[in-house]
Amino acid sequence: MMFPYYLSLLVFSPLIGILVLVFIPKVKEPFIKLIGFLATLPALILTVIAYIAHRNGAELSELAEKVGWMQFVNPEMAGKIYSIDYELGVDGFSLLMLMLTALLSTLAAIASIHIKKEWKGYFMLFLLLEIGMLGVFAAENLILFFIFFEITLIPTFFLIGKWGYFEKEKAAFKFLVYNGLGSAILLIVIMVLYARTGTSNIEAIMSIMASDSDHLVVSAGTKMGLLIALVVAFGVKLPIFPLHSWMVEVHVQAPPSIVMLHAGILLKIGAYGLIKFGMGIFPDQFQSLAVWLAVLGVINLLYGAFLAFIQTDFKKVLAYSSISHMGVVLIGLGALNAAGIQGAIFQVVSHGLIAALLFLLVSIVHERYGTSDMAKISGLAKSMPIAAGILLTAALASLGIPGMSGFISEFMAFLGLFKEMPVLAAIGCLGIIMTAAYLLRAVLSITFGEAKRENTEVNDVAPLEAIPAAILVGLIVLIGVYPNILSGSLTSTIETILLGMGG
Amino acid sequence: MMENAWIIPLFPLLSFLFLIVFGKRLRAVSAYIGIFLTFASFIISLLVLIARFGSPTYKAEGIWLTIGDYQLTAGYEVNQLNALMLVIVSLVSFLVHMYSKGYMHGDGRISVFYAYLGLFTFAMLGLVLSPNLLQTYIFWELVGLGSFLLIGFYFYKEEAKAAAKKAFIMTRIGDVGLFIGMILLFWQVGSFEYDEIFAAVSAGMISEQMITLIALLIFIGAVGKSGQFPLHTWLPDAMEGPTPVSALIHAATMVAAGVYLVASMFPLFAASETAMMTIAIIGAFTAIFAASIGIVQKDIKRVLAYSTVSQLGFMMLALGSAGYVAGVFHLMTHAFFKALLFLAAGSVIHAVHTQDIEKMGGLWKKLRVTGPLFLIGTLAISGVPLLSGFFSKDEILVSTWVHGHTFLFWLAVVAAFFTAFYMFRLFFMVFTGEARGKTANVKESPGVMVIPMLILAVLAIGAGYVNTPWFGTFLGDWLTEGNQALGHGHVEGPAWIMVVATAVSLLGILLAWLMYGKKTIARDWFSAGVPTVYGILANKYYIDEFYKMTIVKGTTAFSRILHFIEVIVVEGIMKMVAGIISGLSKLGSRFQSGQVQTYGTVAFLGLAILVIFFAVTGGYLK
Repeated sequence: MMFPYYLSLLVFSPLIGILVLVFIPKVKEPFIKLIGFLATLPALILTVIAYIAHRNGAELSELAEKVGWMQFVNPEMAGKIYSIDYELGVDGFSLLMLMLTALLSTLAAIASIHIKKEWKGYFMLFLLLEIGMLGVFAAENLILFFIFFEITLIPTFFLIGKWGYFEKEKAAFKFLVYNGLGSAILLIVIMVLYARTGTSNIEAIMSIMASDSDHLVVSAGTKMGLLIALVVAFGVKLPIFPLHSWMVEVHVQAPPSIVMLHAGILLKIGAYGLIKFGMGIFPDQFQSLAVWLAVLGVINLLYGAFLAFIQTDFKKVLAYSSISHMGVVLIGLGALNAAGIQGAIFQVVSHGLIAALLFLLVSIVHERYGTSDMAKISGLAKSMPIAAGILLTAALASLGIPGMSGFISEFMAFLGLFKEMPVLAAIGCLGIIMTAAYLLRAVLSITFGEAKRENTEVNDVAPLEAIPAAILVGLIVLIGVYPNILSGSLTSTIETILLGMGG
Repeated sequence: MMENAWIIPLFPLLSFLFLIVFGKRLRAVSAYIGIFLTFASFIISLLVLIARFGSPTYKAEGIWLTIGDYQLTAGYEVNQLNALMLVIVSLVSFLVHMYSKGYMHGDGRISVFYAYLGLFTFAMLGLVLSPNLLQTYIFWELVGLGSFLLIGFYFYKEEAKAAAKKAFIMTRIGDVGLFIGMILLFWQVGSFEYDEIFAAVSAGMISEQMITLIALLIFIGAVGKSGQFPLHTWLPDAMEGPTPVSALIHAATMVAAGVYLVASMFPLFAASETAMMTIAIIGAFTAIFAASIGIVQKDIKRVLAYSTVSQLGFMMLALGSAGYVAGVFHLMTHAFFKALLFLAAGSVIHAVHTQDIEKMGGLWKKLRVTGPLFLIGTLAISGVPLLSGFFSKDEILVSTWVHGHTFLFWLAVVAAFFTAFYMFRLFFMVFTGEARGKTANVKESPGVMVIPMLILAVLAIGAGYVNTPWFGTFLGDWLTEGNQALGHGHVEGPAWIMVVATAVSLLGILLAWLMYGKKTIARDWFSAGVPTVYGILANKYYIDEFYKMTIVKGTTAFSRILHFIEVIVVEGIMKMVAGIISGLSKLGSRFQSGQVQTYGTVAFLGLAILVIFFAVTGGYLK
């Protein structure tokens, strides 16, 4: 099944859609939407095929590809040639992220039916964003990673700024300023690593750093500094308190279909970067930082939960809920054992699915009610019983009801942390109660109660809206009922990380 | 047969899935699907129980989740306790399914109702079959979900919404205790399996303090689920759900799950004296505390709800006094007579369309079947001799006395007196005297509702005879067979206990009769005599108000403080960042003034710096 340049084709497949869209008149709304949707399919099919092949024993290293890209001579060190190569490759974790990206892109493309204007520009940017996200997870080279990382920023900026809600421009600029600063810090880290090691290949850097126990290549202090810089850079993305305020605005102002990708994938790049680069390149330093990550995780968890408890706009509840749930990722990483890391990765996947489902519902409800203000919507169970049922399901998944994916990740993250720092973990458990409190408060105030009179005349979920919801619910339940379906492909990734930590 | 036990919970699950998808089109037919599938569950449960009599415990498992070096498993187990529970749960569930056919007749969302019932029954049966603590926890949460959905069934009522939310959050507080206890236990034992946990406990692998801590944390879970003080307030509010739900979930099965949890982890609890003492004290206190509230309630379902809380307290008291058999025995008899009482109460509500007992009265003549059935339930719960409640309550009192809890014993005796009193107060106010409301259209319930009540009435009378001091303690001997950690099948106690128990229950009935039947004692002698005490009881010791003032208000206030931090500090940082950037830009733009002189100066300065730089360093930054 694996042909050469498999990953390149996968990453750049949305480009076909962009090229086709160029030649389509911008008024042909249904056609543009169809193309936009179809263009997301090749990547989805290719990731699923690769995943199935991997489950059946195919080596992921077969997928790696490398092409010489640019070379230059360092005038300082005569004879040594610096090169930056175009290198793609995947492991179990990044393959999972690719699949999640491809899936959510397809579903978000479906959810984009509610976009009201300039569909051509919208879908071109949308597909460009998908290329960026896929590239981030497939890059095996720090500089390539950075380029893809930047590619995600630009389309997101325009998608928020042009197709968002009332204060969209402000949100878009906030997004750009924060993420721009994060990128700048990331770039510094990458450049220092590149200059010191002479390579930008991630695995090569990892092995150089691993053998550099005497700190000859990079001094111990610099390593720590670089790791802290990485945590800040990815902490903006994740986001880690107090770097989060931009993402609240984005959650509220961006079009819901873009928030599906934003909450589902873009935030996860932060977690991915912390695991892949933070843990992978600086294992020793990461260990001494772990306690602080766990503390930050508990702060994120509780801070997000308490703030979600008093919001009046449902989108804001979900925004703070995302902050809270990303705390679980940090808790798992801070635990730094098999259970914790696996919990963090599960949470990345699980929250991706659940957040996408919740924002899909936001788009469905917003389309009909024109608002997401919880004071203005009630009795959804009467006016839209199916939507209300799915909303309740999504909320229950989010608050960690067993049988759905949220529970598995929360359980493993806490299992991990209780082994290392039981008192901190016990404080964090307060978040489990608060999550139930704020989600039920929000969701019940929308779905239960008397239907307001002006609210009764709405149609329930249309088939085109129900299909993505059903797929997401199905996956959330599948992972929840049989979690081994994911943990199988993660075993080797986690073993590698723990091995780097020294067993 | 036991190897097929896994199929038992699948029937109701099938019912749930099928009805949630196709229910809308099936409408009233949904009821038959639900009834049929739970009946199938009941039959298989019965066969499994019979099979368990003749053969040892059966257990089957498969790998569920791999975490590093640990392999967590999922599976099922059939031992004495859960074989018994399977039959109790599936039987009551089946009867409630059948009863609901009549009670929910004409409700537009009947298919949803049956779907939820199916989900709950699935979860409850799954909970019972679990061979490890993690799986127990999973189903433990799912029964809570079922309960939540059914309490909120009338979603358009504000009270139902509030009650559902309250039930979920309050039980979740308890669940977090269980969650922490479970994880701590895992890191002590390296496994969630019950048998490995018990092996580790008996081998002394876990320190005394750790066992106490873990046992108490797990007990917090049981406190939440079984409505024990101080997490009891959700249970009376849960009566907002349809009455058949109250019978199934909030009387017979789910609320007993806390008792079941303590029973199924009994060897762990028994290893800690402190934990056992705590359970006994909480149980006894809850028993008398809830009974005292039950005396003054005016809503037929709330009286029964407080009675449930009180009876669960009795069960906890038994378990805390090492009376494993007594606790499980009372769980069983209570399931039957309390389900009967709720269904009979539902039948009354169905007839008179009110839950206020002040508006009822004289219904004995109108409800010729419900009346006697309600009386049977009342007699059983009051501990009148020869009915099931008499035997199981006696067993609890004996265990408490023999274990040396003299004070708790007398508390329990007073609680038993209260029980007899408030139950017969209820009976006399509803069924005797003059009709106080509109009773012209009062009709007896249809057969589909009466038959389940008849079956439960038979069990409420007869179920006690499986374990009596006179005809043999078959149940106790069987439950404890081959497991010394559970204690003896039967505890011998002084004979006067039975006399005392009978006397207090008859006294309670007598007092109720004098006040509400014959009316020789004025009804308001208590409320008029000591209005303060009456006020406290009628307001349930103001515990809801206390929680509202402290926890709810405190949480909101804390959230507001964080919100303040968010606005001032976090947004402040952002404004600062934005300010620095725009400040730098403004500074830069000042140079773009269009004045050639300025540009020239800057260019000259730059050139000068570069020249100096080259001159000093030779061009490289080292």
